[in-house]
Amino acid sequence: MTTPTVTPYRSPLPPARDGFPQLLRAEWIKLRTVRRWSLALLATVLVTVAVSVLSAFSGGSDVKGDRPPPPVGPAGAIVSDSFPFVHQKLTGDGSITARVSLLGGREGRPAEAWAKAGVVIKESTKPGSSYAAAMVTPGHGVRLQSDFTRDTAGGAVSRDRPHWLRLTRSGDEFTAYESADGSTWTKVGTTRLAGLPDTAQAGLFVATPGETMVQRQFGSTSVGGRPARVTAAFDRVTVDGGGGTWRQDVVGAVVGANGDPKGTPDSSTEKSGTWTLTGSGDVAPHTPEVDITQQSLSGAQIGLIPLVALSVLFITAEYRRGMILTTLTASPRRGRVLAAKAVVLAGVAFVAGLVAALLSFLVSEPELRDRMPNPLFYPDMALTDGPVLRAVVGTALLLAAVAVLALAVGALLRNTAAAVTLVVVVLVLPLVLLSGLPIGAAHWVMRLTPLAGFAVQRTLPEYEHVDTVCLPEEGCYPQGPWSGISMLCAWALVLLGLAMWRLRRRDA
Amino acid sequence: MRGALHAEWTKLRTVPSTWWLLLAVAALTVALSAAATGTVSTDQCPSPDACHEDTVKLSLTGIWLGQAAVAALGVLAMSGEYGTGTIHATLTAVPRRVRVLAAKAAVVLGSALVAGTVAVLGSLLAGRFILPGNGFSAAPLSLTEGPTLRAAVGTVLYFGLIALLSLGVATLVRDTAGAITTVLGLLYALPAVVELVGNEEWRERIREWAPASAGLAVQATKNLDSLPIAPWSGLAVLAAWAGAGLLAGAAVFTLRDA
Repeated sequence: MTTPTVTPYRSPLPPARDGFPQLLRAEWIKLRTVRRWSLALLATVLVTVAVSVLSAFSGGSDVKGDRPPPPVGPAGAIVSDSFPFVHQKLTGDGSITARVSLLGGREGRPAEAWAKAGVVIKESTKPGSSYAAAMVTPGHGVRLQSDFTRDTAGGAVSRDRPHWLRLTRSGDEFTAYESADGSTWTKVGTTRLAGLPDTAQAGLFVATPGETMVQRQFGSTSVGGRPARVTAAFDRVTVDGGGGTWRQDVVGAVVGANGDPKGTPDSSTEKSGTWTLTGSGDVAPHTPEVDITQQSLSGAQIGLIPLVALSVLFITAEYRRGMILTTLTASPRRGRVLAAKAVVLAGVAFVAGLVAALLSFLVSEPELRDRMPNPLFYPDMALTDGPVLRAVVGTALLLAAVAVLALAVGALLRNTAAAVTLVVVVLVLPLVLLSGLPIGAAHWVMRLTPLAGFAVQRTLPEYEHVDTVCLPEEGCYPQGPWSGISMLCAWALVLLGLAMWRLRRRDA
Repeated sequence: MRGALHAEWTKLRTVPSTWWLLLAVAALTVALSAAATGTVSTDQCPSPDACHEDTVKLSLTGIWLGQAAVAALGVLAMSGEYGTGTIHATLTAVPRRVRVLAAKAAVVLGSALVAGTVAVLGSLLAGRFILPGNGFSAAPLSLTEGPTLRAAVGTVLYFGLIALLSLGVATLVRDTAGAITTVLGLLYALPAVVELVGNEEWRERIREWAPASAGLAVQATKNLDSLPIAPWSGLAVLAAWAGAGLLAGAAVFTLRDA
């Protein structure tokens, strides 16, 4: 009796590697061969662009403002620069010293916290020209500010006692000093103004931001504002190295037909060596009311809905069809399967998001700006500007993070309907409800929930020396762009980690 | 018809997700309502009596969460059958497809109305406990007040109509993800788009015709003049949406292979 020899079956296919790249390739093939999923990606782009275009072409006002073009600062940004200016020529190095008393605001009321009164050395009386100034403010003590955006804090001031200020020029360096009595001086800080001509104007100024009134309750918000006013008295004014007589001007005033400043209360008077200045304009960077770039990208908040559905299905469909068994047989290291899925999804969502954000910005942004009452008061942003680039790339990053988040929730819940509903409600419902929440509660929601990621679409710069009203309904986020998107990414990564852990622990 | 109803009820009640969803409807609605009433204060008003807050509407804010669970319930009642293939057995047992859809609509509507009633009563009760602590009067939250009764009944009906709309969409689309995404888009994306649109006329138009914003007009008890659409007409708009969804679903259901 002979025993037949049995040759064990060997697959004729050559053995292949099972590394991570192969896993990525497998997931990429799964993603691109389901036609509905490609359609969902297309829908993400189309919905994002469509909502952005709708919001751009439906908005705007028919009433065009008649404000003259705003001044542009040394850095090329739009600024506010209008104040009464009592000045004389200062050639070369020198200094200006004065004793300043803040007298208050409109009709005896206290001045705004950021009202300013002090001494300034400015390139010329042209609005927007370079300057350095030492000043007292009612709410923020002594400050050294220059070229609109730079600000250094000094000591505190008492409201009812006059305060001494001195500003010295030495070449390109400007140093501010303060003193309570005029004999002991403390240095506030030093700032450099490159390229200031040898002959500049040294003098006195007062300025104030406008009054803002916010009424916000139960979902209805009204923001009102009007020009504020500030008056200050200056005595013991000396200019070292100066020459000639004092000249009185109003910088940035609209000049009427007879050469008088039109409609501005800004004025300066002198009586026995004491100058009294009243101002209603501000010397500060200009902050537009609306973030046009952010608004042009707002469609992503709706466009993410089909992306969420796709990302959830990318894992739950495997469970539904039983495909997960094949997937896990082919690659028994389960954490890596989910990681490969996340990488493929994030990459695809990033590309789709980038296309959507680019199209949205290019189509909507010029239109939104044109439709503003005073378009010139909004910076003309180009794609290559830092904040715009951050917002556009950030939007793509945001969609990638949302995709990973949805994938993780899908893997955790293993239920399509529950996962899609949960993620969509968490991301979209706040848009509807935030305006009704008290501002503190709304800010906490915007800080801590995945919604924080949308902060990356903000492009307006924030300055510590400019008070702005941050309203959720106007798209203002309490945190910076990068910390916002980090919060969303943290949510996505933590949930993905949790999902990997659950996938390993549980039967498929 | 009675047999079909019985069959649908058996299917619905023996799926565990149904009970979780019905619980979610009540729990989420009451939780969000309580959170909303907990955050208001009379600080912004000159005196508590001068606060023109619509406390009834505020106490029913939770519907914004509850409706998601109702939508999932309506969608799953139909799409679940396609996902598992039960639809073949169902249509073999009851070949008249309109009858199947009608029976499904009846049981889904019934359970949504029951869960909705619990949710609305719970929300109003929570409001009655919480609002006096914030300086508001609890008096308007009594169901004996005409407008409050309208808001309460209207909200319960809103839950029912959302369930029917979801069922209709699911019959049209057949697959869970597509149907739930469509319904959530209608319920949440449209009101969110309103916030993004600048033009006042367009906003009004979307508010008048979007299912959620029109339907929820029924919750208002104050400042009825400033509503985009009158309370009952708004609910009628939602009913039209639900009817259209069901009709389209029924038409496709009868004409198409399962």
